[in-house]
Amino acid sequence: MPSAAALRIEIERALDRRFPAALTPVPRTIRETATTGVPEVDALLDGGLPVGAISEVTGPQSSGRTGLALSFLAQQTQDERVCAWVDAGDAFDPESAAASGVILRQLLWVRCQSPGGLAKGKPWTRLDQALRAIDLLLQAGGFAAIVLDLGDMAPDHGCQIPLATWFRFRQAADRTRCCLVVLGQAAYAQSSAAVVLECAPCKPHTAGGTVLNGFSFEVRRGRQRFTPAMQGTRKPPASTWSATSAWEAEERA
Amino acid sequence: MSDELYACVCAAEFPAQALLRLRTELQSEPVAALEGRAPLETVCSLNRAAHLKGAVLGMTRLEAEGLAGVRLLARSVEVEAAARAVLLECVSQFSPRIEEVCMATTSAFVLDISGTGLLFGPPETLAQRLRAALTTAGFRASIAVSANFHVARLKAATSRAVTVIPEGQETTALAKLTLAALNLEENYAETFAIWGIRTLGELAALPEVDLIARLGQQARLWRDLARGVATHTFQPIEAEFTLKEFFDFETPVEEMDSLLFIGARMIDCLVTRASARALSLASLTVEMRLAGGRQHKRVIRPALPSVDRKFLLKLLQLEIAAHPPQAAVLSFTLTAEAGQSSKVQLGLFAPQTPEPSRLDVTIARLKAIAGEDRVGSPVLEDTHRSGSFRMESFSVSGVTAGSKASGPRMALRRMRPPVPVRVQLHTTTPAAFRDAEGNHEITAAYGPWRSASCWWSFVGWDEEEWDVLAQAGNGTTVALLLVQDRSKNEWRLEAYYD
Repeated sequence: MPSAAALRIEIERALDRRFPAALTPVPRTIRETATTGVPEVDALLDGGLPVGAISEVTGPQSSGRTGLALSFLAQQTQDERVCAWVDAGDAFDPESAAASGVILRQLLWVRCQSPGGLAKGKPWTRLDQALRAIDLLLQAGGFAAIVLDLGDMAPDHGCQIPLATWFRFRQAADRTRCCLVVLGQAAYAQSSAAVVLECAPCKPHTAGGTVLNGFSFEVRRGRQRFTPAMQGTRKPPASTWSATSAWEAEERA
Repeated sequence: MSDELYACVCAAEFPAQALLRLRTELQSEPVAALEGRAPLETVCSLNRAAHLKGAVLGMTRLEAEGLAGVRLLARSVEVEAAARAVLLECVSQFSPRIEEVCMATTSAFVLDISGTGLLFGPPETLAQRLRAALTTAGFRASIAVSANFHVARLKAATSRAVTVIPEGQETTALAKLTLAALNLEENYAETFAIWGIRTLGELAALPEVDLIARLGQQARLWRDLARGVATHTFQPIEAEFTLKEFFDFETPVEEMDSLLFIGARMIDCLVTRASARALSLASLTVEMRLAGGRQHKRVIRPALPSVDRKFLLKLLQLEIAAHPPQAAVLSFTLTAEAGQSSKVQLGLFAPQTPEPSRLDVTIARLKAIAGEDRVGSPVLEDTHRSGSFRMESFSVSGVTAGSKASGPRMALRRMRPPVPVRVQLHTTTPAAFRDAEGNHEITAAYGPWRSASCWWSFVGWDEEEWDVLAQAGNGTTVALLLVQDRSKNEWRLEAYYD
């Protein structure tokens, strides 16, 4: 009786013309990752956000999405890389970014607005601007990370983005080795996203009952496409992390 | 054997040539330039095709309009000045010593080309290369090379091709030229006509002493000119290097395509001229004279000096599209500032950054989408006022590494503009607030953080900030930043923590 290995070789040889290596597992590509600057999240993602792919950071208001994205950009800009923040809701706060360690000179900020000039106009117009801006930035190349901030956009509007658009972004991000981070209240990119992080507020940290000096956030890995083959026990899919206020960090320093 | 060698470049009918230089589609058509006040304009210059159609100098507009197919254009002094600069720039590639010898509607330059043999070869080769360079720049010019300054000048003014006069044959070369070449005063010209002297060869054959006895000392100069032995002290001009192109539209232009059509040719010319000096274009200034006497001026500054025609044209297109002129355009001026050719030293291990020239186009496109002042890098203002920043243009030059961040921070998301709210206080602490969506109970309030300054000016502020935790509509807790404007006693929702 032939052994299993010999049988497998025989079948593969027979099917070689139609299906090369039909029964041999495809070697998995281990993706390059970029650290987020939050050790708990890096541990959850096996190193950080994947380079050349779409990562989605989702959650409601005050769930730590922006803090996590700024921490990621801080790591990128401090490594002499250039990043972009496409702000569909014009909600970006440069002071918070600077406090997080983002080198603002290396950050291109695109503030979308409605044609009338009012930032809080029709959401689809601003969303359209943001998508066009992402297209241009991805085509230009050279940006290590681009954040598409749809954090204040209602999920109904975000879900209207065609899947073809996300597919195009995924291809362009892969070609230009750019981390495209999408902030939103829900996941929009579906199968085009390499990683989906679901954030949730946990608890505030106070000092003396009168000062808010930090937050704890909960983060859960909703989806991860390029996970390397794991041996042994799996890591927990959720974790918590904390963000402190800027003045608190200065005092500690 | 003389060491001197001169080449004279003579662009006849220069007003017409200047008008046709950027209108390449008209160069094969009959064109005449008109000058004077309407309706008394007369033809001051014309091309060969117009001459064949029967047009002549001095013809009135009415007469010229009667000639079928002849295109009439208004003479423009500015266009001629720009064309003269280009012509001078072109000839200065062959010699640094140039003297201008313009006459009426002819633009002419004499180049001292002695000692250029090693660079450009024999005089015939130099003359051919010079003519080719002029043709590329859009000029038709005759060229004469001689060891005598005046011989080169006179021969170039009366011929249409390239003429190289060997040393010692100057008299023979000039013999057939008419006396009109000397521009004699009318009475002297009549005298020579009565004597039967019509060519320079006949003038050169007259006895010197008798000629001077009858016409004075000036006759010696004429005779020397006719014999090709007149001397001249060369007076070189200092060619100023300015990259400027001007175009006067025949009719007011409103379409951007027409502007870009001319702009593309201007950029081509400017790039060619800058490249000839191993330079690039560091900035482009577009000036448009509009109907109604207004001016429209825009400045384009690429991140790095460039000679990429397509790239510069794209920047021009995006700039005009973003800031279109408010009226029809009468004239279009493009001035460039020269800069050193860009060199970017890339590192094998340096992180990838956007290509500067490509980034320029991308940013211009982003500005067209989002708005002029809404794309760039934020810069924090030197003030304690919360949320103060200004936008600066983004560039990748000088990208540096920073110190490592110590960890994640609480981040704010701003409401722009802030949302006015009504706040219920419990003693002095906010207990609930009401916005357009309804009432929100505040579960915890931290503060106040008070800041005030600039009370002496209009931009002064006196505010109290409260960090509050409130219940959102979906039941989750939201951390908000409420601000009380103490001077107006108004509350507003400035931001929320995320």
